[in-house]
Amino acid sequence: MCAKNYNAFETAQAQFDRVAEILDLDQATRDLLRNPLREYHFSIPVTMDDGSKKIFKGFRCLHNDSRGPGKGGIRFHPQETIDTVRALSMWMTWKCAVVDIPLGGGKGGVICDPHNLSPREQERLCRGWVRQVAQNVGPLQDVPAPDVMTNAQHMLWMLDEYEAIHRAKYPGFITGKPVGMGGSLGRTEATGYGVIFTVREALKEMGIRPEDTVASVQGFGNVSQYAIQLYTQLGGKVILVSSWDQNDQQAYAFKKNSGVDLKELQEITDSFGGINKDKAKELGYEVLPGDVWIEQEVDILIPAALENEVNAETVKRIHPRVKIIAEGANGPTTLEADKVIRERGIFLIPDFLANAGGVTCSYFEQVQCNMNYFWEKDEVLGKLDTKMTSAFIAVSDLARKKKLYMRDAAYVIAIDRVAQACKGRGWI
Amino acid sequence: MTSSNSINTNLYTLFRDLRERRKELDCLFQLEELLHNQKFAEIPLEELLKEIIRIIPSGWQFSDAAQAKILFKENIYTSPGYIETPWRQTAEIKIHNTVVGELVVSYNREVPKSAGDYFLKEEDQLINAIADRISHMVLHKELKIVYHQWQEAEENLSRKTPSEWRVIIDLLQSSNARLFMYLSQKMLHYLCWNGVAEAKELLQQTGAGMRNDARKPLPLGDMNQPSRKESMDRINTINNEIFRIASESLNEDQVLFLIRQWLEDDKSRFLVKALENPNSSLNDLLNAITRFHYLENEGIRVSRAIEKSLRVSMVRHFLSDQLEFIKIAKGHILISDYYELVKGVIFPARSHGKLGGKSAGLFMASRIVNHSQEYHELFGEIKTPKTWYITSDGLIDFLHYNNLEGVWEQKYKEMDEINVEYPNIIQIFKNSYFSPEITRGLSIAIDDLGDTPIIVRSSSLLEDRLGAAFSGKYKSLFLANQGSKEERLEALMDAIAEVYASTFGPDPIEYRTERGLLDYHEEMGIMIQEVVGTRVGNYFFPTFAGVAFSNNEFRWSARISRLDGLIRLVPGLGTRAVDRVANDYPTLIAPGKPDLRVNVTPDEIIRYSPKHIDVINLQTNTFETIEVNQLIKNFGNDIPGIQNVVSTARDHLIQKPTSLLNIDFEKDKLLVTFEGLLQRTDFIKQMRCILDVLEKSIGTPVDIEFAHNGRDLYLLQCRPQSYSLNIQPAPIPKDIPQNKIVFSAKRYISNGYVPDITHVVYVDAEAYNSLPDMTEMKTVGRIVGKLNKILPKRQFILMGPGRWGSRGDIKLGVGVSYSDINNTAVLIEVARQKGNYVPELSFGTHFFQDLVEASIRYLPLYPDDAGIIFNESFFTRSDNILADLLPEFASFADTVRVIDVPRSADGLILRILMNADLDEAVGIFAEPGTRSPEPVERKETRPRSAEDFWRWRYNIAERIALSLDPERFGVKNFYLFGSTKNATAGPGSDIDILVHFNGNDAQRKELMLWLEGWSLTLAEVNYQRTGYKSDGLLDVHLVTDEDIKNKTSYAVKIGAVTDAAKPLPLRTPSS
Repeated sequence: MCAKNYNAFETAQAQFDRVAEILDLDQATRDLLRNPLREYHFSIPVTMDDGSKKIFKGFRCLHNDSRGPGKGGIRFHPQETIDTVRALSMWMTWKCAVVDIPLGGGKGGVICDPHNLSPREQERLCRGWVRQVAQNVGPLQDVPAPDVMTNAQHMLWMLDEYEAIHRAKYPGFITGKPVGMGGSLGRTEATGYGVIFTVREALKEMGIRPEDTVASVQGFGNVSQYAIQLYTQLGGKVILVSSWDQNDQQAYAFKKNSGVDLKELQEITDSFGGINKDKAKELGYEVLPGDVWIEQEVDILIPAALENEVNAETVKRIHPRVKIIAEGANGPTTLEADKVIRERGIFLIPDFLANAGGVTCSYFEQVQCNMNYFWEKDEVLGKLDTKMTSAFIAVSDLARKKKLYMRDAAYVIAIDRVAQACKGRGWI
Repeated sequence: MTSSNSINTNLYTLFRDLRERRKELDCLFQLEELLHNQKFAEIPLEELLKEIIRIIPSGWQFSDAAQAKILFKENIYTSPGYIETPWRQTAEIKIHNTVVGELVVSYNREVPKSAGDYFLKEEDQLINAIADRISHMVLHKELKIVYHQWQEAEENLSRKTPSEWRVIIDLLQSSNARLFMYLSQKMLHYLCWNGVAEAKELLQQTGAGMRNDARKPLPLGDMNQPSRKESMDRINTINNEIFRIASESLNEDQVLFLIRQWLEDDKSRFLVKALENPNSSLNDLLNAITRFHYLENEGIRVSRAIEKSLRVSMVRHFLSDQLEFIKIAKGHILISDYYELVKGVIFPARSHGKLGGKSAGLFMASRIVNHSQEYHELFGEIKTPKTWYITSDGLIDFLHYNNLEGVWEQKYKEMDEINVEYPNIIQIFKNSYFSPEITRGLSIAIDDLGDTPIIVRSSSLLEDRLGAAFSGKYKSLFLANQGSKEERLEALMDAIAEVYASTFGPDPIEYRTERGLLDYHEEMGIMIQEVVGTRVGNYFFPTFAGVAFSNNEFRWSARISRLDGLIRLVPGLGTRAVDRVANDYPTLIAPGKPDLRVNVTPDEIIRYSPKHIDVINLQTNTFETIEVNQLIKNFGNDIPGIQNVVSTARDHLIQKPTSLLNIDFEKDKLLVTFEGLLQRTDFIKQMRCILDVLEKSIGTPVDIEFAHNGRDLYLLQCRPQSYSLNIQPAPIPKDIPQNKIVFSAKRYISNGYVPDITHVVYVDAEAYNSLPDMTEMKTVGRIVGKLNKILPKRQFILMGPGRWGSRGDIKLGVGVSYSDINNTAVLIEVARQKGNYVPELSFGTHFFQDLVEASIRYLPLYPDDAGIIFNESFFTRSDNILADLLPEFASFADTVRVIDVPRSADGLILRILMNADLDEAVGIFAEPGTRSPEPVERKETRPRSAEDFWRWRYNIAERIALSLDPERFGVKNFYLFGSTKNATAGPGSDIDILVHFNGNDAQRKELMLWLEGWSLTLAEVNYQRTGYKSDGLLDVHLVTDEDIKNKTSYAVKIGAVTDAAKPLPLRTPSS
């Protein structure tokens, strides 16, 4: 492997090494956590619709299960590599640990392009995948979930195959199932609400009342919409949202100083989060270029759309009034921007904490499945609040006490928890 | 006053009614008198019918205007001065439940209506009663004749009888001289054709012989002089002679069979005559066809030859005189197929018009499908919407009637004048009138179509011709067709006028100028077609509709082949599938691989599912585009077959509903996916079958339009598959110098011609993969996005490693969204060999539908494949202008290379030629602005099967042989061998010819020169056809007598045991 080549796994290891340094971990712990505990590589023969056979390459990687069964998605991607899967399984370990749910990190995948496969072939591929690792995954071992180019349908096929092999019902084998088929209520709201639970706690610590704050939100997808809903309920005022316009192939920002009305915007939004700008104008919104979300005079910025939106250029435009940036999206902030934010002392809620509502709800799905008893939505969201709140408090406590940047503090807590578990088990 | 008035009125009505009753009774009474006449038995049928005709008018309310017509078998009897009018009623004359004729009573002028109709209720009964009586009478008479014949035959049998056919002939000779002559002539020809010497002699004596009798050779100019009429006696002698010869050369059964056949043929001669007479008007033809229809019911059967020639004439008169079309149509459209069609034809007086391209195409296609066993066995009849037609000369009639002939000059005006004047023309046309014949026809059509919405479509003679697809150039207008009859008729005429006006619009004129069709006198037929659909709320629309193509030019997976076809499917009216609409997407399906979808993940499915629907609003009488979600929410339960159209999206699970009960139209999140249609119904199989059957029969890939009302599939249009200019298969020259080729490709090629590329954005695979981190890789995507905004639109191409727009691992392709690439002309993915595997390419799947709708070409390159040219140094060593364009990204110059092609290639530009027929593409340096090679007309680029290549060569070889003068060139024999003979010739093959030569040197030289001429010409023609260039297409080998004797050189091929050269017939020596 060429050292110069960009490699996701190496990046993940480098990140770990940096935190290991902060934590001053011993060599054995470093050696253990730098690499996955177990990896399965296998071939999946599939009978194609025309009767021919095709062999697909599949993986499942369990990075660490010291805190509980592995948890992580299955990706279908034509150029999947084991290093990508390794890196993602490691990130899953930290993600579960930071919200303190008793799960480890895993990831899996198949080298394939579903665009070249008929639904029947995809079904056979899913079942084939399960047959290859049926002994090594399960509700008490390693729990898969949907990921890139896999969805609820694939999960149901996999579950069915798994249960057929083990001759019993194991709804907790896999998550991401539809409600009524072993799925959990509250999943749609979980990530967006989770973001605001952390924002609420951050404000509490700063001694600011939510009703005295205003926010600017980038993106108008599922996460943003529920974040706006909860934030508004808490009394906050969102003055601007941006959304991607499919017709014009560019983003627009929709501003109303008296505060945007979520319901009215939802009514003029298409199914993939595009707000109709003509109708918005009629409703009294100011329609601006999409990138102005970051320069608003607000207390809270919530980037909840794409990666790398807060970068070396845009970070300069952040208004002095901004006190909190809550990362609803994955990786919205680049390394350069991170430095600036840190220097300016803006309170950052890092992505893998802020948007951990999703994985927490997956955990709840698994818990409900294992006891075969399903909660009402309120109960799910109530428990989510508890979990997110305590996770946030732990990270922010550590950051304050040890004077760490929030992102570092989150990693430190996560890695430390995993290291402790491994120690406790006598592995190291 | 008032009351007295109303009493008067009532009295008058009563009196009138009584009078009518009396008239009817009188009429019936007279009829009975006639039929019960003692002499009834002796009066010939013909006389009786004439008498009935005379009596009939007296029974009708307006006796002075009433007239009658009886169509009986091949005869028509009418009142004196009978004219066809629309105020008519009819009744069928039936014997043994078979229709043998028709009784028509009509008024020769418009009379006042009574109770909304021109005829009284009682008159309906009366006409039926009369028709009934006629039927009985005929039956009676016929029975009587049969009875007599039987008696006679019995008597004959008791004596010794001559042969059966002799009886007929004798009978005819005395009773029907014309028919007798006809039969004897037929017999004489038959005998001659079969080489009966005596008959030939007789022919000499009677026909040509007559001229010889004159004892002087006739000068050529007199050939047209009529031959002399012979005296009856002599003719009778000759005729008897003919039958004598016949009885000697043929057996009894044969003669009888022939005579029967010819007698049958004779019955249909009126139709042949009407069809063959160039002066027959459409009206004459319609009458002849109707008569023929009745005769067919009677069991008349015509010989195959006549049937064929009738079919050809019918096609020529009604549909098209293009030979290509006739050739196909004659094999598929039966005479009987026209019976229904002609009932809906509206035409001006003395019309000679045709129905036009669109009508003809649809009519033929529906016949082909319905007569094909494959389709019929599985799916029964294919439906076409109820249609009325106005013939193509309706436009001329319209212009003439309104003195608008001046408008013809429009097409020769300057384009800007045409533009300015067009709106005025529309207004003038809309304020003009239709001639009474057309108005009457339209009025009947409106009654027939009721208040179902209709579409008025152009059906021009130019439209849908092979080689010129006027798709969408002329107008098609939807009409809600609501309101009173007057309103509906008014709206219909308005629409027709507007379609007529569109002939003189700038678009079609420009298009015709481009295609060299300007001087062709445009005639435009009109189709008035019922819109397929259902009323839902105030809207009317089909459940779904779309277009389908035999050839798939947009493959989204390597597993889909071109022959798998393509369907573009939309909910509602098909307009959204036919035209590309911004911001919405039809559902794409390859009928050969229906399970390989374009969109796989829920995100993709949601994003690319159709969001709008075209409908007819019956309340506002308008054509509208509305949101499909809202429509389904409000009226989902009323849309037939909706469960096959939508899927529910719940918790990231997109599922087709198991049944209608399963859908909560108000609450569910519903998407148009057509999943149910694909999985639960035979729709795809049905479409595939239609495409296959049509392609096979027409001999070219087709595109069709269809609509489905939730119950039945309707075929709406069919024509040879058209390609818009930039997706025609581009001919690929074979003689491009190596140094002019930038890259070549031979896998998964679609069609395309991208002439003027000035810039190349090339992402270097190695440099890209060596970028230190993900952020840098993402920056590459941003650079591409910026270049996309700066570079000249559609004049640059993007080339990158692996998968553009890769969403997962960015390492495997540049991460871009559609907006980052939407201005490129071509999106190229380069798959370099890595170790022992070549990465799979994306085929643009991430934004496949966007590419399709924007006509951006996609091309995969496999530089490491054998025989592929890839000028890597051009991409890696040419000057990189990235730093000039985007100084802030100068540091990425190693990875992103922007090449100004003319600057780096001495003023040349890059041209990409893509040819799916050959599965080849090439990027070449070319002079800017030159359009060589010219994208050839579709006629020439029709995908050829392997068969075409050799068959064409074979025919050519035959033609050469036939035109070669053996004496002049000293040629004894002419042979064909090699790939052309063996039917294996490909597009680049030459034609191997072997000439048995026994002339002198001068002749040899002359022969070679003569063949060289052919060779060069054919090479050019072949280049036009296939893009393969060669120095000559003929490969000629001469062999002499000696060679043949010694079996030297190519002479071994002559008479060889295996793979012998095939002799071709030479021209017979000139006399």
